[in-house]
Amino acid sequence: MKEQLYRKEIWITIVFSVLLMLTGHCATLFVAFPFLKGGMMWGFPVEYIVPILMGWFGMMVVCIAMALVCNKFDDDMEEFAKSQGQTVMSDKTGGK
Amino acid sequence: MSNEFAIDNVWVGVIVVAILFAICYFIGWWASKMTTSEEDFYAAGFKIGPVTNGLSMAATWASLATFLGVIALISKMQVPFVYLWIQWAISIPLLTLLYGTSLRRMKAFTPATFIKARYGKGATITIVLWMILIMIMYALGQMIGLGQAFEMLFGIPYNVALVVSGIATVGYITMGGMYGASYNAAFQMIIMTVAMIVPMGAIMKAMGSSGWWFPPLAYGDMVPAMLKVLPTFFDMKYDLRWYFALIPAFTLGPVALPHLAMRVFTSSSVKNARWAVVWFVLFLGLLFAGTYTSGFAGNYFVATTGKAIAKADQTLLILNVFYNPMWVAAFVMGGALAAGLSTVGGNLMAISGLVGNDLLGILAPNMEAKSRIRWGFVALGMGGVIAILLAFKPPKFLVTSILWAFGLLASTATPGILLGVWWKEANKLALIVSANICGLIFIIISPHVFPSIVVGKGATAALGMSGGLVTVPLSFALFIFLSLIFNRMPALSAWAPSLADKQVIDRIHGWGDYDENRYNGKVWPVVLALVCLLISFWGLQPWKF
Repeated sequence: MKEQLYRKEIWITIVFSVLLMLTGHCATLFVAFPFLKGGMMWGFPVEYIVPILMGWFGMMVVCIAMALVCNKFDDDMEEFAKSQGQTVMSDKTGGK
Repeated sequence: MSNEFAIDNVWVGVIVVAILFAICYFIGWWASKMTTSEEDFYAAGFKIGPVTNGLSMAATWASLATFLGVIALISKMQVPFVYLWIQWAISIPLLTLLYGTSLRRMKAFTPATFIKARYGKGATITIVLWMILIMIMYALGQMIGLGQAFEMLFGIPYNVALVVSGIATVGYITMGGMYGASYNAAFQMIIMTVAMIVPMGAIMKAMGSSGWWFPPLAYGDMVPAMLKVLPTFFDMKYDLRWYFALIPAFTLGPVALPHLAMRVFTSSSVKNARWAVVWFVLFLGLLFAGTYTSGFAGNYFVATTGKAIAKADQTLLILNVFYNPMWVAAFVMGGALAAGLSTVGGNLMAISGLVGNDLLGILAPNMEAKSRIRWGFVALGMGGVIAILLAFKPPKFLVTSILWAFGLLASTATPGILLGVWWKEANKLALIVSANICGLIFIIISPHVFPSIVVGKGATAALGMSGGLVTVPLSFALFIFLSLIFNRMPALSAWAPSLADKQVIDRIHGWGDYDENRYNGKVWPVVLALVCLLISFWGLQPWKF
């Protein structure tokens, strides 16, 4: 269980880091893959409006998922520590 | 400095500024009554809820440059600068994910609180000094903007405007501590969003756009006319390396900004810190999208009316003076002031925390908490005064000095924080050596200090992008390799991470026990270091742009 939680933490961090980078640096994809350019959306070239939307709503969706997944993970960690008779660092322990 | 389009009636500006500052001082006074401990002064008692904190985060991040400098740079660089700006929204989500919640768990006041627990005194002094330098540069940019805004509103000389606005600003921030900075920032975010978006709707209507009802995203019908008069506006002018260089300097730099991290630390819980980030992205996205619209409208205005804007920093005000009633233009400048005030508030609180808590905690460990808070107040005021004094000779582009400082932060502080949280091998001496070497190299190869020794050219070098592509990955690589070497040299055993240092890592990640094997790999850090060296070498190749 301990090993599983550790692996899960690492994967959660990697996956959300990559997703955040993709949403914030979406414009780079249009430079790396120029064939993606050329279309129009809401009157704008896609290479203009898609990075704006990804950097706003796309990132917001990633952050909502991040809050849900990471908060659930914190619960699992606390549950595991409790099952082992351990205390974890928190406001209750004064951050110690 | 003379203005192209000044507000004719000075009293309109006086009224807007007086109301704004009266509210800020009232919030500061109200907040000062809640400040009774160090936790209150530096972290608002760890009690700020998600929505308020989301607003405060967005306000602290969105500086005066959002109203002045950015629009000027969009006019100069057009769409690539929009891309540069978009990626800034990652900063707080990424820092929250990578270390913000871990440090919130340990109730840190600043990132240096963690540096002290993890690396000890020597490394803390190194990182704190770099952070203070960068915070003063950051506050300097805001002070310049505040001075310019007062100059435009009141028509008074820049130096007088700078002193008046600077003293008024430092006064209310000093009064309220982090409670005041947090609630003021939340209020200021609302003001700046309304000031950016609503008047822009009227401007777009006057320009003939049917999308005036939602300025951030509904100006697509202006695109054909824009392309007719300015066909290059949407061109992605630069090569792939230019866009990649945004990551080391402009994504990884802000990740270590102490005033942003401190906003995460004020959250009422670790879980609420994550929800605050969601609100932050929503609010900041709205404001930033309004900024892109303003940049678009500024270019559209120049192209369609034939009127040249000599002072591009003033584009937003010029558009408002041209299309909207005078009181609306004054309100927009009030929004710009709010943006500057909230960021200066964050900067000065960070300086205060770094000096009052982190530095004094090392230099005078037995000092009473009350005295430390007093010194924190002194540091806060002194930081403001230094920024005002430095702002008497402002750089050409308001935003440049701030952006350059991000690369410096990424070269000095970011590797120490990230590897410190995620890697037990991270060595104290290796941090001091790599941070100082790479910080100095970054300064040397930038055009601002030694113009004859520069990596990159033009705006790319001036903004610290080309320098950052060299020194940020180099800093990570050097830190990793030196850590592995120093930890295996018996003569340097005092600098190796102790068991207590390593236990800090497990504890802040939420573990109840200690396991030597966690966060202690060798292969992946070496792979990362090798990749970083390749990227650094890529940055040294001749730059086209």
